[in-house]
Amino acid sequence: MTQPAAQIRRDSAEKVTGEARFVTDIALPGMLHARLLRSTMPHARITGIDAAAALDMPGVVAVLTGADFAGLKHEWGLFLRDRPLIAIDRVRYVGEPVAVVVAEDEYSAEEALDAIVVDYDPLPHVTDAEAALAPDAPLVHETMETLKDFYFKGEAKPLPGTNIFQNYRYECGDVDAAFAAADHVFEDAYDFPMVFHYAMEPHCVVAEYSVREGFTLHSCAQSPSAVQKVLHAIFGTPLSKIRVIVPYVGGGFGGKASVKLDPLAAGIAWKLQRPVRLCLSVAESMLTCRRLNARVHLRSAVAKDGTLLAKAVRVVMNGGAYADTGPAVAIKAANRAIGPYRIPNLRLEAQAVYTNTVPGAAFRSIGGPQAVWATESQMDTIAEALELDPLELRRRNLLRRGETVRPDLRSIDVEMAEALGEVSKALPHRPGEARGFAVAASDPGIMPIGSAMVRLGIDGSITVMANSVEIGQGVRAVLAKLAAEALNQPIAAVDVAETDTLTAPFDWGTGASRSTVIMGCAVQEAAADAGRKLLAMAATTYEVPESECRLVEGGVLVRNQHHTFRDLFHRYFGIDSGDVSGIGSITPQYRNGAFLQAPLFWETAAAGCSISVDEDTGEILVKDYVSAADVGRVINRLAAEGQDEGAAMQGLGHSLFEELLYEDGQPVNASMIDYHVPLIDESPAHFETILIENGDGPGPGGARGMGEGAILPVAPAIANALAAGHGVRIKHLPLTPEKVWRSLRAAKAGL
Amino acid sequence: MHDLAFAVNGEQRSLQVEPRELLIDVLRNQLGLTGTKRSCDVQVCGACTVLVDGQPTSACSTLAVEADGCAVQTIEGLAKDGRMDRIQQAFLDHGALQCGFCTPGFVMAVHALLTQHEKPDDATIRHYLHGNICRCTGYVKIIEAVKSLV
Ligand code: FES
Ligand code: FES
Repeated sequence: MTQPAAQIRRDSAEKVTGEARFVTDIALPGMLHARLLRSTMPHARITGIDAAAALDMPGVVAVLTGADFAGLKHEWGLFLRDRPLIAIDRVRYVGEPVAVVVAEDEYSAEEALDAIVVDYDPLPHVTDAEAALAPDAPLVHETMETLKDFYFKGEAKPLPGTNIFQNYRYECGDVDAAFAAADHVFEDAYDFPMVFHYAMEPHCVVAEYSVREGFTLHSCAQSPSAVQKVLHAIFGTPLSKIRVIVPYVGGGFGGKASVKLDPLAAGIAWKLQRPVRLCLSVAESMLTCRRLNARVHLRSAVAKDGTLLAKAVRVVMNGGAYADTGPAVAIKAANRAIGPYRIPNLRLEAQAVYTNTVPGAAFRSIGGPQAVWATESQMDTIAEALELDPLELRRRNLLRRGETVRPDLRSIDVEMAEALGEVSKALPHRPGEARGFAVAASDPGIMPIGSAMVRLGIDGSITVMANSVEIGQGVRAVLAKLAAEALNQPIAAVDVAETDTLTAPFDWGTGASRSTVIMGCAVQEAAADAGRKLLAMAATTYEVPESECRLVEGGVLVRNQHHTFRDLFHRYFGIDSGDVSGIGSITPQYRNGAFLQAPLFWETAAAGCSISVDEDTGEILVKDYVSAADVGRVINRLAAEGQDEGAAMQGLGHSLFEELLYEDGQPVNASMIDYHVPLIDESPAHFETILIENGDGPGPGGARGMGEGAILPVAPAIANALAAGHGVRIKHLPLTPEKVWRSLRAAKAGL
Repeated sequence: MHDLAFAVNGEQRSLQVEPRELLIDVLRNQLGLTGTKRSCDVQVCGACTVLVDGQPTSACSTLAVEADGCAVQTIEGLAKDGRMDRIQQAFLDHGALQCGFCTPGFVMAVHALLTQHEKPDDATIRHYLHGNICRCTGYVKIIEAVKSLV
């Protein structure tokens, strides 16, 4: 099966030969290497740091601590200004950076870490979110300074004097009356574990600073403009002198979104005025961010025939030591717990809580897997109690296109029953295997802000400058294809430049499945702008009305006469040189505000799986997995399928075995030896992706964003299969062999 | 410092290395062969896989001096005269990579697989590649790519 050339991604060709450049591959002349000393205490005051011995070690250039940054307004954040550049006088989690060794090479820097002595005065700590809610819980932060509309719209609602840094509430309809009148009320609580992104490329930044030139960062950041914004706030450097270059990124899944390592890397370069490379190990990336673990309390009011009447959701999320994007994650978890169902009465509550653990952060479909795990598990519980087929119960409640999930959100733009129907048709029914299903609807939080530039040279070669980050999703190939289509040129003529804030205009960031839609439209607009200029030039040059000129491969067609771009430019400019640029901008005003609707599109998913269970060991094997996504239009089939397959497989991890564990304030399995992610022999023997295309999305050609939805239904589909086939309902992820085995045994014993 | 003499991608090399230096660092930093990637550091993920005398080896967990006198093959040595080898081409054609960080290691491991097994079946493929992690693709297209070669 060879793909047509147009589908081959140029980035893939570079990657498969080892030529592709990632941040970790960058070596600048005179570059120093930094390593971090991290807190061994979950919560403590720093009473002293002695770095004298480390400074004397061979190759060591400097040891930096909080004291070195005392003059700066160094506390930063995206929702709350709660995070120091490096620990100043206090640490709030095991793994928090306390000191930096900068040396001529990495080995020397690493070795010197052991020679630094830090004195701590321990404080009481709390690592569990429910415990952090207790009135006498130790406070992780005494003050909470919120930032309104800083990078995200709106602001967090913390409760001062508590550990709650986000307290979200929403209500519609008459919830209490609906519960009072309902035939059945179901009440359950579901736990979702703390899991690690494990992008295979650890966080890495190479930073340079000089007073005259400002900052240049080679970063793995998913949101370069957010990095600029935070550095500007800390160092006061003009935005024009903060340049963020992002080469290929080795996966992110949210772990490189918003801002992570860049302020500290920049701070080291700022202090030393020499290029410095700060590259974490994967074990350190595990101490940098992770998904917010959650307990989701659900109450559902249901009529005899299975009609959902009301739902009350209360989510408690463990946000870790610093808020990061946790406030947004909490809101999304509440929304995503509704499901693609018609429920007239809703009460949504979500709290995100500080604890002395690794900071929580965005992770593929923020808040989604936590919420959908709960909602879709409970749907099967309801079906069982009402003696309905789980698919039938869903069909009775699924939204039709145009119906609303929540009255203040844009109505749903897909036909959910279509995806579920396709999945149930495609999922094989084999003897000895149990089947389970789940569906999900998520509302991507997309800021419609992003611009792009397109340049066409005299030889017909085209450059696209856009700040979308190529993180494996294939965005450069998508943008190249759109620019080529808009200018009617061969795709081989188009290059998409490396992400660089100096040369490409503002983009909000790469995430929330937004780039194909937002940047795709921006590139189409930019190409159209360049196209208009070319036609106007042709009309002037060949003295015909514009309507008689059109773009064809390599030039313009004027009254059936082909002129090359070279001919056109030469005549127009008078010399054999010159180029034409177009700019395209997506703003909240774009298409009369159409992109301002929230959500811009619904990202939905349906999935089914069949599993077999080894009742002696409790091990679950997923045999078949069918995933459906309504993507509107497929732009690159291999890439789109790959996104879906990858998201589902990632979901298998939190479903079956992934969980970061804490004991006594210490993370106990924060290394890739102890933390197990899905391996190739754990992937289902049969995996099928169904991409539904109705051309009805807001993006180019009717495309919708995708790439996150498929992670949502995995865990509940598996748990539902386990319940259907083996009679045990587990409400606490992951479904480890031990847990499954114990439940099976308890069920047999009639407990 | 130790003398290290070995063949890298068919070319004889002589270097001075510290006894503690890892093969991955010598390849990446001294020889500029940055195609070999470092991820887990602990011989779990396979991103750093190179072939040492034909055997797939985690360069992150191998001392450089252990490669003395050996033939080391890295991702950079596969394409000949600007043409990819058939494994690279199969990965490309089947969309078996996304971010590409795991890819060099996977390609090298598949190289060893196909040298050792002429016609590996599904179970053999999955078993052999158990030491290579990919976080992006979900493995589906990697398996398809390998199967297209047998
Ligand atoms: S980096 Fe060597 S096996 Fe993971
Ligand atoms: S392609 Fe990203 S880890 Fe495999």
